Amino acid sequence: MAAERIIQRSDVRKSQLRKVPELPILERRNWLIHLHYIRKDYETCKAIIKEQLQETQGMCEYAVYVQALIFRLEGKIQESLELFQSCAILNPQNVDNLKQVARSLFLLGKHKAAIEVYSEAAKLNEKDWEISHNLGVCFMHLKNFEKAKEHLNYALQTSRHDLTFMVLGKLHLLEGTTQNAIETYKKAVEFSPENAELLTTLGLLYLQLGMYQKAFEHLGNALTYNPNNYKAILAAGSMMQTHSDFDVALSKYRIAAHAVPESPPLWNNIGMCFFGKKKYVAAISCLKRANYLAPFDWKILYNLGLVHLTMQQYASAFHFLSAAINIQPRMGELYMLLAVTLTNLADPDNAKRAYEQAVSLEQLNPLVNLNYSILLYNQGDKKGALHQYQEMEKKVNKLKASSNVLEFDPELVDMAQKIGAALQVGENLVWTKPAKDSKLRERPAPSSKSTTNQQPLGSNKALGQAMSSAAGYSKTMQLPTGGYPTRVQKPPSLPLEPESSTDSAART
Amino acid sequence: MGLDMDPMFLAWSYFRRRKFQSCAALCTKLLESNPYDQETETKIIVTEAAWSLKTRALTEMVYVDEIDVDQEGIAEMMLDDSAIAQIARPGTSLKLSGISQGGGPSPAVRPMSQSGRPITGFVRPGTQSGRPGTMEQAIKTPRTAYTARPVTSASGRFVRLGTASMLTSPDGPFINLSRLNLTKYAGKPNLAKALFEYIFHHENDVKTALDLAALATEHSQFKDWWWKVQIGKCYYRLGLYREAEKQFKSAFKQQEMVDTVLYLAKVYIRLDQPLTALSLFKQGLDRFPGEVTLLTGIARIHDEMNNIVSATEYYKDVLKQDNTNVEAIACIGSNHFYSDQPEIALRFYRRLLQMGVYNCQLFNNLGLCCFYAQQYDMTLSSFQRALSLAVNDEEVADVWYNLGHVAVGIGDMNLAYQCFKLALANNNDHAEAYNNLAVLEMRKGHHEQARGFLQTAAALAPHMYEPHYNFAALSDKVGDLQSSYIAAQKSAAAFPEHVDTQQLIKQLQQHFAML
Repeated sequence: MAAERIIQRSDVRKSQLRKVPELPILERRNWLIHLHYIRKDYETCKAIIKEQLQETQGMCEYAVYVQALIFRLEGKIQESLELFQSCAILNPQNVDNLKQVARSLFLLGKHKAAIEVYSEAAKLNEKDWEISHNLGVCFMHLKNFEKAKEHLNYALQTSRHDLTFMVLGKLHLLEGTTQNAIETYKKAVEFSPENAELLTTLGLLYLQLGMYQKAFEHLGNALTYNPNNYKAILAAGSMMQTHSDFDVALSKYRIAAHAVPESPPLWNNIGMCFFGKKKYVAAISCLKRANYLAPFDWKILYNLGLVHLTMQQYASAFHFLSAAINIQPRMGELYMLLAVTLTNLADPDNAKRAYEQAVSLEQLNPLVNLNYSILLYNQGDKKGALHQYQEMEKKVNKLKASSNVLEFDPELVDMAQKIGAALQVGENLVWTKPAKDSKLRERPAPSSKSTTNQQPLGSNKALGQAMSSAAGYSKTMQLPTGGYPTRVQKPPSLPLEPESSTDSAART
Repeated sequence: MGLDMDPMFLAWSYFRRRKFQSCAALCTKLLESNPYDQETETKIIVTEAAWSLKTRALTEMVYVDEIDVDQEGIAEMMLDDSAIAQIARPGTSLKLSGISQGGGPSPAVRPMSQSGRPITGFVRPGTQSGRPGTMEQAIKTPRTAYTARPVTSASGRFVRLGTASMLTSPDGPFINLSRLNLTKYAGKPNLAKALFEYIFHHENDVKTALDLAALATEHSQFKDWWWKVQIGKCYYRLGLYREAEKQFKSAFKQQEMVDTVLYLAKVYIRLDQPLTALSLFKQGLDRFPGEVTLLTGIARIHDEMNNIVSATEYYKDVLKQDNTNVEAIACIGSNHFYSDQPEIALRFYRRLLQMGVYNCQLFNNLGLCCFYAQQYDMTLSSFQRALSLAVNDEEVADVWYNLGHVAVGIGDMNLAYQCFKLALANNNDHAEAYNNLAVLEMRKGHHEQARGFLQTAAALAPHMYEPHYNFAALSDKVGDLQSSYIAAQKSAAAFPEHVDTQQLIKQLQQHFAML
């Protein structure tokens, strides 16, 4: 007993000796706050901050600062803005405080105010990439692209970051200069070759320009780094589809379908894969699901119309095509398909009008003129048919001159030769391949109607269009043209089906 | 006067032909001419018969099958703790929502009535679609959101039923319950049963009914299963579920009846023990193989637990037994509609039409199915028929809303806009219409208006994820990330598996964590 007491007493004495006089230092526990904050232990962190603020009567700058950061992480931007403002009052010379105030303003959507505060901050520190970067982003939101570019380029000069590259690329896309955007992204990929998002975007841009080899390379790289990247999978799949590699594309989509079971573009592409494999019913059901999920998407409607044309269900085809035209009125091919449908629905007058519209809208595709010419010929209007035929020849010559397209769809060529012969313009054919006699003889026969009808439908050309539209879909979807992702139009809430009332309900 | 029939015989004949009004009137006359305190034996018998017949006629006028009357008021939902397990394992309770077990269609395809409960194909009075969390929430939400009819505080409809029936007889109630000598009637089983039904169904005086039933069952020395079931019914009404269960069980031991099984299952469902109810139904099916009501009961429980696949299987069994069952046809039909098979759904609904069902909802569903199954010739005429058959503004609003969807389908945005506006004009609380109007406004570029509509929609229907997500996306586009984040979180709460919401939240969190 006695020994114990002695030990205790000595303990007490020791601790009294060790005790250091406590000074009321404001920043005494900053290290602890910081430690908890970076470990994401926000609850403990908040408790310590509260204690610290009580002790110092709110004068501890760092505690307020971290509290504001936590608020921001929780999505309470307004509160965090107020706290950062008090930080800035406590220490007006600190650039960080000003930057955070501006950042909070930016997150609240007050871009002009944010720019002002950032400019203040820039006066205190010239060489800060964050300030320039954020200024650029703010200007981009205010649609002041010149200044935005200036600031972003300055930010890149000071210090290169992936984020800045991305914003700059987006800016170029907004302005519509794809070439510049590609340059930017190229630099970015050189700088950080393992960023899957950059790789995907670059791949998509190449895809848009038709440079398939490079696109494939980059998308493949992106998939190596992140095999579940939904965008890259979709883009790669659509590229395979363009080259008629449907089974491989479907196996790609299978991976994506797990991640995003309700994505309209995905179901659209799957539907067009089935279409390519001539599984029309499966294609229709996939496309209809896509359409149910995204009723405003004209590409899905276009594809649905095309598949129904192939199935020779003209009423449905007309329905979907006219819906697509309502949503996207500036597209010649849509009018052409509509005209083909109308021809089959025994309404040649409206078909003619639709062709007129198509011809006026479509500058490059010779198919439109060819189909129109066939219609006119079948109607007995040889003069008009000849005119359209010549238009088509002009287009073909132009395309040849631009040498982008050397190979024409054989079916198109074949049909053109037939009608050319029928119109007796066969001697100056643009295609060198001589037409066969037997075909020439068959052509003006009255039974030609069925061949006429099937010409634009079953042809690979039409299929090719569908493919490219499917591919194009994923492109537009993934390359945001607005400053931020464009997919605002979510499928509206689904058809509400009021429950059928019941007998028992009626009885009560 | 050879033309005059014996009035008692005529009254009885009226009753058999279910002409209750005439029967009751004739009985009243009989009773007036023969006061009750007659001396001769035969007269007493005649008066007793007339009295009993009148009670039965009056009861039958307002009779509702007790099995289908399952209404929970706010008080029962909130303040009643009959369930044993507070946090039950998923798949063993009816009160957990949002856990889809059978792989049914997701909220992106099938609309929700409350979070986690897809709307059903068939509304019964007992349909509960999710439950409110707190009393405050229960009072704030629209009154028809949880049951098939406006929620009252404590099953007040029973009270109302009683008063309503009293209004029909101008000279006051037929029997003054407080003056009845129950012991005397309990001794006469042929009178007692009719009297009990009258008290229970016509007067809705559960306590007196229980007294009478207790005396009668004592008189029959506890050998009559019917009285036991009645006592159980009374206990159930009074909220004494365990006592009710005891009575029903003992009745079932005495005499196996389908009714008893159904009552017992009702008790178990109220006690939140769906698995017990299921095994009970299976037992019942062993006794009565192929009984339709039992099969329907099983299907309903599976449906309530969000296990749509097995619910559909049982509904199909029902159809194998009874191919005109409206509930089964409607449920399977709506299920097919939402799993990308509108053609098959159309066949089911046409079957309903062939059976002579003729109401607004059916034509509305037919129109939708026709449109989505690409039967364009019958679409609009069905909707027209639905509009002309609609009996209240809510139904008109729903039809216009669906017409708006058709308009979107044909790409005519102006028509769609008008349709949604009309839906709102008819039902000002139509959240879906607000949401879709907002989407249309957004397409036109009217952001402010779209925001207003979306906010209204989100306030009206917090369980729908669409307005929340759309609001989040819109705010994100204009740069207001705080509102975007709040809305996105609500959307994630309403539909956790939504990929776009998840991506948006991730992106916003990156924004918040940056720098």
